Amino acid sequence: MALKEILNENIIDLDLKGTTKDEILKELSEKLFAEKYISDMNQFIKDIYVREAEGVTGMGNHIAIPHGKSDAVNKIGIAIGRTNHDVEWESYDEEPVNLFFLFCVSNDHDFAKNHMMLLAELAGKLGNDARVEKLQSVSSKEELINLLCQ
Amino acid sequence: MKIVGITACTAGIAHTYIVAEKIQNAAVEAGHQCKIETQGTIGAQNKLTPEEISQADVVIVAHDIAVGGMERFEGKPVVDIPIHVAMKNPKSLIATIEKKLENK
Repeated sequence: MALKEILNENIIDLDLKGTTKDEILKELSEKLFAEKYISDMNQFIKDIYVREAEGVTGMGNHIAIPHGKSDAVNKIGIAIGRTNHDVEWESYDEEPVNLFFLFCVSNDHDFAKNHMMLLAELAGKLGNDARVEKLQSVSSKEELINLLCQ
Repeated sequence: MKIVGITACTAGIAHTYIVAEKIQNAAVEAGHQCKIETQGTIGAQNKLTPEEISQADVVIVAHDIAVGGMERFEGKPVVDIPIHVAMKNPKSLIATIEKKLENK
């Protein structure tokens, strides 16, 4: 299975409008809901905040990786968003964030293990500073997907 | 030098893999060999072999939860740190280790 299989243009938005963490999480969750990745938006967002309370999800380099680990998840995926403005977010480098990778995963660890492995591979790619810098300047969803699959 | 390591974060979904990549990149950039085993929700990946461990000069364990198989590193210098230390500044982590080993 290739990385492309968990990346879906319909849950990517390079022009998010939200200006707060709440608004961003809601916007991305709405996309997941519309594409049937999750069955219950309120529950899903509540579960994201459970993880947020456990520790920082702002990775530095203006990236945040909130985790939606929830029973409301039907399908494993990753919603990706970018804003043209800074959004305040707790982060390791104490800088604001404008790139968001919302992990949408089941509470059941054995559920869709193949997809979980792809998600892990994708996460690793976010640890590469050069790639992350390029993510800031991609102008289309296709370009973004290609960059992540490289 | 030869570096081996393990990463393990609380949720085992993202930090584990991101920090593994960061340590790896910082080590290679500084001219070292490096292999990091990730212990996440999908189990251990990129597992360290006994040979790799025996040849390693140092072991980095970046974790927020208990890691498995620590007995493999008996007798090795182990750098035990929380995830955020490696996440914030992987380069200075490697530089600090270089200095420590030099002074031995």
